[in-house]
Amino acid sequence: MLLTVNGSPREVDPARFPTLLAALRDQLGLTGPKLGCDHGECGACTVRLDGDLVYACLTLTAACDDAQVQTVEGLANGGALSPLQQAFITHDAAQCGFCTPGQLLAAAALLEANPHPTDDEIRTAMSGNLCRCGTYPKIITAIRAVADGSGGAPASIATTPTGGAS
Amino acid sequence: MSDSAGGKKARFVQTTVEVEGRTETRVVEVPAFEPAPWTADTPLSIVGTSPPRVDAFEKVTGRARYTADTVRPGILYAVIVRAPIAKGTLTAIDLDTARAMPGVRGVMGPGDAPAGTRLFRREVSYAGQSLAAVCAESLLDAERAARAIAASLVIAPEPHAVTVDDAIAADAPPVRRTGNTTEPDIVQRGDIARGLAEADVTLTREYRTPVALHSALEPHGAVCEWTGDHLTVWESTQGIFRVRSDVAKALGVPQSRVRVIKDYMGGGFGAKNSAGPHTYTAALFARALGAPVRCINDRRGEQTDSGNRPATVQKVTIAARRDGTLTAIALDALIPLGISGWEGGPAQIFHELYHCPNVRTAETMVYINAGGMQAFRGPGYVEGAFALEGAMNALARALEMDPVALRVKNLATHDERTGRPFSGNRLDECYAEGMKRFGWSSAIDHPPSALSRAKRGRGVAAQTWPTGGGPPSYANVRINSDGSVDVLAGTQDLGTGSRTILAQIAAEALGARLDSVRAVIGDTERLPYTGNSWGSMTTPSVGPAVRMAAEEAKSHLLEAAAQMLEVPVARLGTRDSQVMLDADVALSFSDLCRKLGNVQIVGHGSRGPNPELAVVTVGAQFAEVEVDAETGVVKVLRIVAVHDAGRIINPALAESQLHGGIIQGIGYALFEERHIDRASGATLNANLHDYKVPTMVDIPAIDASFLAGADPAANHVGARGIAEPPIIPTAPAIAAAVADALGVEVCSLPLTPWRVLGALTG
Ligand code: FES
Ligand code: FES
Repeated sequence: MLLTVNGSPREVDPARFPTLLAALRDQLGLTGPKLGCDHGECGACTVRLDGDLVYACLTLTAACDDAQVQTVEGLANGGALSPLQQAFITHDAAQCGFCTPGQLLAAAALLEANPHPTDDEIRTAMSGNLCRCGTYPKIITAIRAVADGSGGAPASIATTPTGGAS
Repeated sequence: MSDSAGGKKARFVQTTVEVEGRTETRVVEVPAFEPAPWTADTPLSIVGTSPPRVDAFEKVTGRARYTADTVRPGILYAVIVRAPIAKGTLTAIDLDTARAMPGVRGVMGPGDAPAGTRLFRREVSYAGQSLAAVCAESLLDAERAARAIAASLVIAPEPHAVTVDDAIAADAPPVRRTGNTTEPDIVQRGDIARGLAEADVTLTREYRTPVALHSALEPHGAVCEWTGDHLTVWESTQGIFRVRSDVAKALGVPQSRVRVIKDYMGGGFGAKNSAGPHTYTAALFARALGAPVRCINDRRGEQTDSGNRPATVQKVTIAARRDGTLTAIALDALIPLGISGWEGGPAQIFHELYHCPNVRTAETMVYINAGGMQAFRGPGYVEGAFALEGAMNALARALEMDPVALRVKNLATHDERTGRPFSGNRLDECYAEGMKRFGWSSAIDHPPSALSRAKRGRGVAAQTWPTGGGPPSYANVRINSDGSVDVLAGTQDLGTGSRTILAQIAAEALGARLDSVRAVIGDTERLPYTGNSWGSMTTPSVGPAVRMAAEEAKSHLLEAAAQMLEVPVARLGTRDSQVMLDADVALSFSDLCRKLGNVQIVGHGSRGPNPELAVVTVGAQFAEVEVDAETGVVKVLRIVAVHDAGRIINPALAESQLHGGIIQGIGYALFEERHIDRASGATLNANLHDYKVPTMVDIPAIDASFLAGADPAANHVGARGIAEPPIIPTAPAIAAAVADALGVEVCSLPLTPWRVLGALTG
């Protein structure tokens, strides 16, 4: 069975790798999408399927015949980071980084559908992607920066220490 | 060791180190030299700035390799079969059917693993305990075979106790042969009776906290591979050397034959400090089958058998004079640890946060038929702070005193538990700065409004946590022949940013450009020893070792340069990876090292003994909430946090740690609670859907900062730990705000709508 993954045609075996996540990770070696729960609860496995956001752990490989799949590995364009990737770096929007591939794809889908979301729209759109490290405020800042066009430019999120001298 | 001739200092001395709130005495080596401390006034150009994480690129491109991403040729997949009920004896299990299933390469059950692994025992003592395991060519095959084994289990059930009340009842079933409770651990100073007699106001409350699950997004897991008699373990762990010693001991092999590698990991929060059933399962299958084996917990296994923050029942009595002076604090606590666990009880913060002459705590650990506890970010202090700070807020209301004023009146003046002076403690400034940022005037100026169903309230709570770190920790800094720099330290980065801050410290000390410095961590075979990344210890433990190694490498480099340039070394310095002669650039590190050829510039560093001081990170958090008095739903509107942790190496990363702690604290305050079915003992919400962790919609405005400064008395880098402190005061601050909003206290966590409504309706 044939899929297009990050622009390249790839052969997958739905019998041995019944979920899209297993096919991507274990057959194709694309380990960007992560397995956090295997039950559609965490978002670590988020990829885009024909542009839609899906949990790859809940997506049957057999249902993806001929589909276009994008994973985090396909976000950078010819080696150049996407503005979102750059903004995640600049604004420290990844702590352990385990949720980050899913967060990036969810954010990319959001900005494609709604290039200038409000903070509440960001929160709602991103609420299917858990981050146990608590990077949420910085993910919001990173998405905001891209939406506002300030992209990856260093912004004021780095805390300036306050208070008196010791 | 006796002093050598020439009056050199002793090579080994005793020092005390606080790990997760426990004090340990260690004999440690004294470094040959220790650099002069970086004080608050030392001009630093890389430490104290916020460059992006050195591994951010890997994380945003999907290139960062986590344990489950380890690819080895011919890898096999192992799955653990777990007990479905809490207590009984396994009387029948069919492994043969599974063995014959497609793709299956190996099966293990009772009696098949060395006793030291504690795997696959017939005696079931909690639901989720490992009973068997299967190894197959694909995860799918392994899962199918595991289901077949699970279906074959016959367990003769025995009565169990899964709640603290069941375990201490007069007719409680025995959970452990040695009894269901420990002798109370009583710690006291002064005289409680006298303190109560001196008081004008005395309050007693019972607080209850839930079992919370770490829920790191990456489950525990290992990939194991044997080459002859040499085992390599890729493990998601906070302690590579601890995993190495655990595995070596359990399997009866020398530590020198076990290599543990940890590259990236998806969070730990305290649960990943040792080898576990997944590690041993993978190692045993890999040895038996002669192939690499991967064993990763599924989410259910992760939520039931990888640790938790234990529940508590805390009866607190607090007493003060009319002017707010504390005269007595007493705690009687029951802590159901699960089937096992170290004693990380809530008492310690009762002895440390306030200056009070009379304090008595009694902790009784209770065993229940549920998965054992593991340290979870701020273990004990998080639970204790909810009760202590809850009682302080109740006291403030009873005294009609501002809760900040009450706290400032009773600030600890030294470590009240050990009598040691603080290396630094600016909690008073944290309150002042937090009040300013929050716009705090007296909370009692704002009585709850009776007009609207949406009621707002504000609350405050504080935190202390021992963050001195300590030895042993070693590091090497190596300057390569092109002038690039390797920092070598066997520590681990859980997502906290250790890789980045160690590179910053080395670059600063060496006078190198940050982009030329690479921190190599997470490999027991190639790197010098450091301890576990727990107890907020990595920065204050490994940071000074790295700095010392970099300083030594720098002095070697300058001596070589002095020879080459034929100038006295005193005229040389370093900046931006260049050797400076007085104020001018003499030559770059790369030119110098190229000329040196294969002469290696290596510096060795170690963490020196701790000062005879109490080293703590402190802070205050302020919360504003809105409570729907009809539905009981609590919404946190904003949190202001100000902490004092000495020097901050990277403010942006440190702010991320504060966010993480606060957000986990919000989860603990509002949603997180493990539910166990009393009939079967199985966990009902062993997943990420029914066990609620905060999502992006739950996050309030957070203003989190540190006081500027440094703590040169703590160690020569001047930094204390920051990872655990921020979770400690969040829940009590939110609970105080809810009490302020409603005029009634809710003394149990989490503050779910039904608990809030229950408190409202009495
Ligand atoms: S792994 Fe797919 S949603 Fe968690
Ligand atoms: S960065 Fe660790 S789970 Fe999101």
